[in-house]
Amino acid sequence: MSAHSHVDGQLPHEPEKATLEGRNKVLGFWLFLGAETVLFGTLFSAFLALRHQVGDGNPSGQELFELSTTAWATFILLTSSLTSVFAIQSMHTNKVKSMIVWLIITILLGLGFLGLEIVEFANYVDEGHKFSTSAFSTSFYTLVGFHGAHVLFGILWIGILIAQIFKKGLNVTTAPKIYVAGIYWHFIDVVWVFIFTVVYLMGKVG
Amino acid sequence: MAHAHAVKRYSGLMDWLTTVDHKKIGILYLISGGFFFLVGGLEALLIRIQLWKPLNDFVAAHTYNELLTMHGTTMIFLAAMPIIFALMNAIVPLQIGARDVAFPFVNAIGFWTFFAGGVLLNVSWFAGGAPDAGWTSYAPLATPTFSGGHGVDYYVIGLQIAGIGTLVGGINFLVTIINMRAPGMSFMRMPMFTWTAFITSALILFAFPALTVGLVAMMFDRLFGGNFFEPTNGGNAVLWEHIFWIFGHPEVYILILPAFGVISEVISTFSRKRLFGYSSMVFATVLIGFLGFMVWAHHMFTTGLGPVANALFSIATMLIAVPTGIKIFNWLFTMWGGSIRFTTANLFAVGFVPTFVMGGVTGVMLAAAPADFQYHDSYFVVAHFHYVIVGGLILGLFSGLYYWWPKMFGRMLNEGLGKLCFWTFFLGFHLTFFVQHFLGLMGMPRRVWTYLDGLGFNNLNMISTVGAFLMGVGTIVFLLNIVITSFKPRDAANDPWEDGRTLEWTIPSPAPEYNFAQTPLVRGYDAFWKEKMEGKKEMLPAEPLGSIHMPSPSILPFVMAIGLFIAGLGFMYGKGDYGDGFKAFLFNNHIVAILGMAITLFCMFLRSVYDDHGFHIEVDEITGDKGVKA
Amino acid sequence: MSSQHSSVEEQAKHHKHEGPKKHIIGFIMSILLTIIAFSMVAAGEINTTFIYIFLVLMACVQVFIQMGFWMHMKDRGHLYPIIGILMGVFVVFTIVIMAEYWAWW
Repeated sequence: MSAHSHVDGQLPHEPEKATLEGRNKVLGFWLFLGAETVLFGTLFSAFLALRHQVGDGNPSGQELFELSTTAWATFILLTSSLTSVFAIQSMHTNKVKSMIVWLIITILLGLGFLGLEIVEFANYVDEGHKFSTSAFSTSFYTLVGFHGAHVLFGILWIGILIAQIFKKGLNVTTAPKIYVAGIYWHFIDVVWVFIFTVVYLMGKVG
Repeated sequence: MAHAHAVKRYSGLMDWLTTVDHKKIGILYLISGGFFFLVGGLEALLIRIQLWKPLNDFVAAHTYNELLTMHGTTMIFLAAMPIIFALMNAIVPLQIGARDVAFPFVNAIGFWTFFAGGVLLNVSWFAGGAPDAGWTSYAPLATPTFSGGHGVDYYVIGLQIAGIGTLVGGINFLVTIINMRAPGMSFMRMPMFTWTAFITSALILFAFPALTVGLVAMMFDRLFGGNFFEPTNGGNAVLWEHIFWIFGHPEVYILILPAFGVISEVISTFSRKRLFGYSSMVFATVLIGFLGFMVWAHHMFTTGLGPVANALFSIATMLIAVPTGIKIFNWLFTMWGGSIRFTTANLFAVGFVPTFVMGGVTGVMLAAAPADFQYHDSYFVVAHFHYVIVGGLILGLFSGLYYWWPKMFGRMLNEGLGKLCFWTFFLGFHLTFFVQHFLGLMGMPRRVWTYLDGLGFNNLNMISTVGAFLMGVGTIVFLLNIVITSFKPRDAANDPWEDGRTLEWTIPSPAPEYNFAQTPLVRGYDAFWKEKMEGKKEMLPAEPLGSIHMPSPSILPFVMAIGLFIAGLGFMYGKGDYGDGFKAFLFNNHIVAILGMAITLFCMFLRSVYDDHGFHIEVDEITGDKGVKA
Repeated sequence: MSSQHSSVEEQAKHHKHEGPKKHIIGFIMSILLTIIAFSMVAAGEINTTFIYIFLVLMACVQVFIQMGFWMHMKDRGHLYPIIGILMGVFVVFTIVIMAEYWAWW
């Protein structure tokens, strides 16, 4: 159990997998993402079952959704996923500074996405599309809101990690955390791909 | 860098609150699961007293609904699951030759959140009424339209919190088994109990998120005016049934698979034979786990899914009888020609086999969709699932507890009392539930608080109640056994049954904090037995003696669970009529709920920011331990 | 402790440091797929069933690209993550079929 043996010298090429603790963390997190897949899948299925239950006089998805907003949100989140890849690449080549810069850009893009979503929700509420309006509205806000909550959690999490890197530097303890946060961020993006497809695009089609 | 960091090691109560040692967490699971088992058992006895004669008024109809709901919920989620986790925690790392689990801290979170959820559920008894919509909590009965009060809120939020604990516990065991096996312990050399723990953890991983979503949806409907299951606003009540059973059917395999594992270990050990058809056992376990996700709608034949769906789910359900049958025959062939010793553990295991076959046969009967329309919602169903859960799982758990008790506590349980426990519990069980098959076929509906005279139900119900009390006696004998043997010296040998086959029997009883002074080298299936057959008394070590790194204890898991508990109460009472005092301010603005969540998130923050360097157990301490035990 | 023990040198040998090029290609492909999906919907006037299937296909291709390139699932040593995600996808598949066919039957 040489958990800290690499700290003083050169970092290994994949520092996140250098220790058993690191490998455990990465694998455990992947399995957690398997569970998250089922979580979002169940939310999607509830939405699919209820998406036509709009009720009389309430706005439907076709009337509410604006493709341009969704397109911007998609573009921002996709880009943030790319910047988080760059952060992990910098980590693998031991460039701590550029890693931090990429992580900060990722967070800022995440905040932009979240801002867009809040504005969008506020507009919907103004148009009479509240949480308890219909089965459609409830399942819509639950699904998209769960995703938004994941984005928010990711922003806070990566923020804390950046602060830790400033304090502790990159080592075999902090590297798995960054790596795991990276795959979390990609997973959020992957879920969004299905949200814009199933909720917004299909909703627009009718 | 790898120095001994000064780590505070607690004693007494603080030791138990802060422990991250999987063996101690196993004991905590056992104590709390055992407590909830007694609570659920008491509820069962009250139900049986109410039903012992026609038109009885021992409890009111509403109380009966609460008892029935809480009995089911408590037994499944708060008794059976934690006792399974108790055995998994106590034994799985030892069986794979690991010093620790992959995530000791997360393991502690798993226990404390389960415990917080369980306590929260049972607080409902003292807070104006327990949940009363059945353990399946079907919509629309459980929606606010038909269920005012806070009863079902406790169900929804209590189970949500307990479910988080179960999920993270499952992830911990998956990673432990994948990453932490001793050298030479390949997947196809793993003991059967470890295999079933592995598959059960995988089922937990993929089934519990569905429950999470179902409970969130029900919570939103009840607390925030959502419409998931509210037909007046376009919701769909059957959607709840689907989501619940997509979780719920894998859940019954989550429960039964570890029992299969225990039975495999016990029968093999006490027949002094290798488990017959090991690889087919593994295959059957994986197949049962996989098929378990494709049969949920057999709980819903009468909702009217149509003949095609019903036929599909009928066939898929009957298919599960094939791998299960493979297991039954493997156990029989393991015993065949063996030199069988009928210890208490083995009595429970041998009693399990025919009992579980009976439960399986009624299961296939229920799987036939047209026949199910007759059995549906009758006592036949009650008899069936008690045969598989009590006759299967609980007998398996008793067997496992008697078998591994010396490894967990260092003391053997008394065999005489053990046999008394077996016979009273086993006979009581069959007396209680065998007659219920016939009550069901005669038309007695389940979940109804009383029945009329002159329907021919009287005698059978009387027998059933007598049997229930006999099971109660069996349980009390078990408790007596624990109490009496706890005064005996802690002198169990490393291999107290003398026929131990697997790695847990190579180390002292109870296992030291670090499990293995030297990680063993595994050279085959039934690793210890293989060494014994070659005349050796110990495993070959895979590494020299050295200092052992251990994780430090932490109070954070306990505090996180308290945070969730507070948040749960805060959400539940978020829209009450409190006048306009301070209490109204706190609850109606969800300040209590936010505070609770903040406590939990702050603990996560602390855990992330402060690295746990752990501590080292030095060689002289390890050899000292060894000297004492040898 | 695990069977996947690999020394640092061994890792270095197997791990080729890819430049940002591959990731940028993945990004461009994702953007293209997204634009195609959005413009299909914006164009309108297309058979609903066809466009549903097409949209879901686009999404699946994009997710496949992202998981392979960005989440490193195509790299070696990702057997258990792949099993984990695939099993999750399998369960989701059954749940979605439920929602589409049996929720309102």
